[in-house]
Order: sequence, then structure tokens, then C-alpha cells
Amino acid sequence: MIDLVIVGAGPAGLGAAISAAEYGLEVCVLDEFVKPGGRLLGQLHEEPDGKWVNGIAEAQKLYYRALQLGVKIKCGVSVYDIAKLESGWCVYTTDQIYETECLLLATGASETPIPVPGWTLPGVMSIGAAQVMGNVHRVKPGEKGIIIGVNVLSVAIARELQLCGVHIESILLPQSSFVSGDSAHPEKMMESLLRLTHLAPSPLIRFGGKWVNPKIGARLYPRNGFKMWGIPIQLRKTALEILGEYQVEGVRIADISATGEVVPGTEKVLSADFVCIAGGLTPMSELASVAGCSFRYIPELGGHIPIHNECMQTNLKGLYVAGNITGVESAKVARAQGTVAGLSVARELHAIKQRADEIIDIAKKEVIDTRRNALIQFQAGIEREREELYDKGNNVFEEKISV
Amino acid sequence: MSGDQTVICRCEEITLKEIKETVERFQCSSREVKLRTRAGMGPCGGRTCRCMIDRLVEQLGGPKISNDVSLSYRPPVRPVSFGILGGEPK
Ligand SMILES: Cc1cc2nc3c(=O)[nH]c(=O)nc-3n(C[C@H](O)[C@H](O)[C@H](O)COP(=O)(O)OP(=O)(O)OC[C@H]3O[C@@H](n4cnc5c(N)ncnc54)[C@H](O)[C@@H]3O)c2cc1C
Repeated sequence: MIDLVIVGAGPAGLGAAISAAEYGLEVCVLDEFVKPGGRLLGQLHEEPDGKWVNGIAEAQKLYYRALQLGVKIKCGVSVYDIAKLESGWCVYTTDQIYETECLLLATGASETPIPVPGWTLPGVMSIGAAQVMGNVHRVKPGEKGIIIGVNVLSVAIARELQLCGVHIESILLPQSSFVSGDSAHPEKMMESLLRLTHLAPSPLIRFGGKWVNPKIGARLYPRNGFKMWGIPIQLRKTALEILGEYQVEGVRIADISATGEVVPGTEKVLSADFVCIAGGLTPMSELASVAGCSFRYIPELGGHIPIHNECMQTNLKGLYVAGNITGVESAKVARAQGTVAGLSVARELHAIKQRADEIIDIAKKEVIDTRRNALIQFQAGIEREREELYDKGNNVFEEKISV
Repeated sequence: MSGDQTVICRCEEITLKEIKETVERFQCSSREVKLRTRAGMGPCGGRTCRCMIDRLVEQLGGPKISNDVSLSYRPPVRPVSFGILGGEPK
């Protein structure tokens, strides 16, 4: 029996593999993608100090460190089921069945695209798919794109696509309807953009983040939008329909009021050869659900979260979670959570001989500090919700364990 | 194309109209919508439309999204061959 199997070779999974292997555990990491690194692979940002963060290089560093410590990493393997054993867990994969003492789910997040009329045409993709095509596979998704959905992720990826040599014609809102919810609302989206402060080269957003109330921001917002890196961001325009006979040819758009209503007579067609839809992200917790974890619904963290404590333990013995499966946050937070999870497993298996609690407390504090300094805040209120979850989470945890 | 004809579940090709009508007619939960229409039951296991179905049902006056996962997950959570399920050696 292996000490620790980890599902997911993203920053959380690799971070956990490293910290557990440093205490001598036998660790095996499984990932269904062809390369290790998870969502890190797609990332490319310029930090406030002007340094570029290249996710591929970050992923390589983690990968080599893990290999050095003797961690086994298998790519191209999907985990399709897990089951509790008398002692430990059984992991069913497309490769073989593994038995392990402890199991860590670090499966990340999935996208929640907004259905827009015409979204099934070839050439329409989620924003994350465009990121993977450009930054991971080095294939341009098209020559001229339109992004539907204005949020932290879509603006960051628009910039990455631009660096790939793709022209982004416009980033605009989906049409207001039940399917789009807040994502069609200029004020709400202004609020979301204001969380991008540090990353934004635009003074409107950079200063706006500190001073502008989103309501006023959306009203003052120029009808023709403003530009970031030369890309028009249009909170006062909406995408009504994606057009094309056999594939994407363009998008029918219209002006909208500050509260999201279409202004009659303003419709026109923008041409494009691909369209990205940027909805949001939600924790990918399918395996936690199959295992029988309890959940809590926390929209600020992206949806249904498997209940866990600050040590990353779920309410099932030997089952841990880390990274975006516990709530959508940036890669650095995921990595720090992974470290905590790896150490907690090492403690459970008595591999940390001295001061285990103290070591884990330091790692927990690192998660909190990293969260506070994160460049990308996917949602408002993450810190508050986390605190509440861990207060409540601990109670539930004790209740269940004591039964 | 009218908004109502927009496909919500791409695997099973279920439109917004079908989901709306089901919620209106049966006053039901997202789980019941899934069982009645097959929305969310295709090969992707609902990975694309699950959140949307939950949200739609809530906005159409169905039960609020709660801590319970209404659209439950069932193994296998990825499409796998019978050979793999049966433990056929590779
Ligand atoms: C489209 C998208 C774009 C993002 N862009 C940014 C960004 O620009 N900056 C930023 O800071 N954060 C970004 N994020 C957030 C990002 O998820 C985190 O930064 C970080 O990568 C999360 O780390 P993780 O280890 O939790 O998950 P991930 O990095 O997502 O890794 C999870 C891994 O688990 C594997 N996996 C999942 N299920 C299974 C299974 N059943 N069997 C086998 N393998 C499985 C996946 O293949 C994946 O490699 C983005 C997220 C998404 C979805």
C-alpha cells in the first residue's frame, strides 16, 4: 500500500507531493492531462514589479523538485472512482487500481460557461480552452477573437492571447437573461474588474480599485469602453448572438444601459473567426462527492465545497483536499494549501517526528498571507468566507468524527 | 435564433425552452429536471451544464441551491471502456 496518492498534478498536488516526500512518504501523483502542472501551464503574468511569471517554468520547477524527492508522477491517467477501504482508500484509474493509506484530491476547478445563442458553432470555446491552445499547445485559436464575459480571468487571458499574436476585437458582456445572471450586469462586472487592480495597466482600474464605487464606475463608464493593452473592454455593450453558417463569422452586439437593458436601435455585427465565453470557475469536486464528503454551498468560493478544516482534512478519515477544489483562488494559494495538505498527511502517518503541529501552523499561516497578497482575487469576500468555513468546518468535522 | 432555443445541455441537446417548460409544469428540483429531460446526463457527466441547470431552476422559482449537491455525481466520473471497468489488464 502506498502512503499517499494525489489526484491532480497542479500547483496544489505537486506542492503536497513535495512536502509529504520531504518527510519520507511514498507518494504517487496521477493526472489526466499529458503534462504535469495543471492550470499553471497556461499562466503568464506581469507582476507589479515588472517581472514576468511564466507558469510553464513554475510547473517545471515543482515537477523536478518532486521527481528529485522520489515522487512517482503519472500523466495521461484519469481517476474515475474512489472507494473507502477498511483502512485507506482504493483509487480506480484508467491505468490500474491503487491502494493508498491517504488520498489527496487536488483536482482544481472547471469552467462554467454561459450559454449564448449560437454557442454550439465551431469556433466558440471557453476562455480556458483558448488559454490552453495558445499557451500550452502553442496553437492560435484564430486570428480575430471576441470574448463574451468581462471578468478577471477573461481580461488576463485576453492579454495572453494578444501576446500569442491573436487580435482581440472586443471583450463585452453576455446578454442579460436568466442564464447569464450577474455576468450581464455592468455594475457587478465593474466590481469584479476592480479586483484586478494590481495587474491592470489601465489607470482607470488601477486607481478605480481603491477609489471608485462600482455603481459610479459603471455609470461613468464611457460608452465605447476603455482599453487595456489596446484591447477594448466594453461594459456597456452586450453580445446578443453568435453568428455563422458553418463556423463563427461574427457576433451581433448592442449597447446597454448601466443596469443592463439593451438600447433599441444600436444593434450591429462585429466580425470574428473565434469567440471565447468566459463564465466563471467552480471547484471540481466530483470525486469528493462520490466518496461521500459533506458539502457546503459558498458562491464566493465558486460553488459547492467539500467541507474541510484548515489542515485540509475532509470529514472522511484519510481523505484530504487542496487547491481550487476547496475554492477558486490563485495558483500561489493552491500551492501553499498543497504544502499544508502534504504536511498534514505526514503528521497523520507519524512521519514528522518533532514539532509537527508547529510546522503545520507555519504552513497554514503561509496560506493566509499568500491569500492576502494574491494578485488575482477571483471573487470578493474569499477571506471572510474561508474564516467562516473553517469555524463551522471544524465543528462539523468533530461531530462526524465523534459519531 | 431566439434565446429559448439556446442549447443548455450540449451532450443531450436540451434547450432552455425544454428546461423552462419542465420547471413550470412540474414545479420541480434540478434533480427532477435532469431525470425528466436527461439534461446533465450525457457523456461529460454534467461538467459543462450542471451549475447552469441548478441556477436556472433556482431562478425559475424552483428550490434554492443548498448545501446538498442536488445533481449527484455517480462513478465512473470519466467516460471509460467496459474493459477498464471490468479490470481488463492493459
Ligand atoms: C481556465 C482557468 C484559468 C485560470 N487562470 C488563472 C490565472 O491566470 N492565474 C491564476 O493565478 N489562477 C488561474 N486559475 C486558477 C487556477 O485554477 C489556479 O491558479 C491553480 O492552477 C489551481 O491549482 P490546483 O492544483 O488546485 O488545480 P489545477 O491547476 O487545475 O490542477 C488540477 C489537475 O487535476 C487533474 N485532474 C482533475 N480531475 C482528475 C481526475 N479525475 N483524474 C486525473 N486527473 C485529474 C487535472 O488534469 C489538472 O491537471 C485558472 C483556472 C482555470 C480553470
